[in-house]
Amino acid sequence: MDEKFDCIIVGAGVAGLAAAMTLARNNIKFLLIEKGEFAGAKNVSGGVIWGHDLAKLVPEYWKEEDGGWDRFINHRRLTFIDDQSSFSIDFKSDHFNEAPYSGVIVLRSKFDRWLAGKVEEAIAESDYAMDSFVATNILVEEVLMEDGKAVGIRTGDEKFYADSVIIAEGVNNLLTRQVGLQDKYVPADHMLTGVKEIIRYDQKVLEDRFQLNGLSGMSNEYVGFATRGVEGGGFLYTNRDTISIGLVLGLKDLREKNLKPYDILNDFKTHPVVRDTIRGGVVVEYSAHVVSSGDKRVMPDKLYKDGLLVCGEAANLLMNAGKAIQGMDYAMRSGILAAENIIEAKEKQDFGNSQMKKYQDNLSDSYVMQDIDNFQDAVHLLHNPVMYQKMPNLINHFGRNFFTISNEPTQKARDMLRASVKEHASYWDLIKIGIKGARSL
Amino acid sequence: MKLLSLNERLGLISYRNQAKSDIKPHIRVDTEICNTVCPHKCTTYVCPANCYTMDEEGKVHFQVEDCIECGTCMYACDQGAVTWEFPDPEIGRGVTWNFG
Repeated sequence: MDEKFDCIIVGAGVAGLAAAMTLARNNIKFLLIEKGEFAGAKNVSGGVIWGHDLAKLVPEYWKEEDGGWDRFINHRRLTFIDDQSSFSIDFKSDHFNEAPYSGVIVLRSKFDRWLAGKVEEAIAESDYAMDSFVATNILVEEVLMEDGKAVGIRTGDEKFYADSVIIAEGVNNLLTRQVGLQDKYVPADHMLTGVKEIIRYDQKVLEDRFQLNGLSGMSNEYVGFATRGVEGGGFLYTNRDTISIGLVLGLKDLREKNLKPYDILNDFKTHPVVRDTIRGGVVVEYSAHVVSSGDKRVMPDKLYKDGLLVCGEAANLLMNAGKAIQGMDYAMRSGILAAENIIEAKEKQDFGNSQMKKYQDNLSDSYVMQDIDNFQDAVHLLHNPVMYQKMPNLINHFGRNFFTISNEPTQKARDMLRASVKEHASYWDLIKIGIKGARSL
Repeated sequence: MKLLSLNERLGLISYRNQAKSDIKPHIRVDTEICNTVCPHKCTTYVCPANCYTMDEEGKVHFQVEDCIECGTCMYACDQGAVTWEFPDPEIGRGVTWNFG
């Protein structure tokens, strides 16, 4: 492999694979490098891929007998919990049953490996069937820069050269820091740690318990007592014969509250509502990974350099604005946009700064940055203690009163609500949250 | 359902080069900093794999063997004690997820 590539992609996660697929389909000679034993070997997500981009990448993926995804989502639930109760917003609809699905649940070790297989197929059909590669088990230690321009990568003593480099290395973005697009030290303030267990059931038991039909699935997010008062929340997704259950915890808050993430996860699993949901399974994996919050204050301002683009969570492209935790769909779109820029650059034979900047412009025009820009207030709101502590307590206090039938004269709901507010928050809290919430969503 | 201890949880994880005795650590911790100036020693409780422990005298110790490369310590340590890299595929220890 002494010949120069058009592009080297670092990282075979969702962003890197989306970029690779786009390059392969457009006859670009590239090298995709992954440090794990196989694509997905080191990747962890919640996780749901939202939206329709997967159908662009792998047309009619749903027709495959055993594709890389686990279940499509037609049932969503947002649950507020206090110490012993839960109050949910629950939405299920056959409207979501038609492909292309608007959300599929995945396990990354399986999904990424499957998607990498699709990339290999696309390479085999391209003009560079013998010259483009997906290489695993290789750790990129350095992006080679010459006169401010990215010219390749180094692994150990070996160097590979290319006209362009796409960094898709994930949230622990050492190379992005090395080339100076991210600070050398990123503080804990707007970062979170996710901890998760995979719990296995008899598939029939799982399908009955969660009212699943065929390959339909459910996503459930939890706000409130899930986290022992630490900023963050919980999640539960149904896979084929397992569930993914876990917490996302604010790192700074975890540090200040002196708590262990795996202890909080056990607390969450013993919460009366969660306990009855997960009964009887066998834990088959425990995992953890840092995750971005979607707070723009932690994102690199600039996602390009001469000959270089950064995409996916390496660029902190992930957001939870209350409706869904979106990360893999952002990774996919940014990977596609990065690759499209490289395709154009090759046509023009111009990999310079102004051509690379177009990637960031296109990303800014896309739903990814528009949503991140438009929902910053919602991100801040979710990390406000009133929202993740007082509100769930208040809602459940109200729920308990509202649903209690006591053979006593019954209060009007309005009066019950007033009592709950008095007990758990102030009107001023609510007014502030109301104003912020109305503006942010 | 039965709750798992952290050791039971870590026992479910597959690591690379598990059998090798001579591995190159991918994280270096200057515990001198932890044990002299750090006011919180937070890595001893925020690390999801408990790679950082505190002994009876309150001193911080680090072992890389259980590391799952999550990145938590790299952000949580605000004292400059943690030098974080990814493990070398051949001579490092690192995680391979079965589910992910």
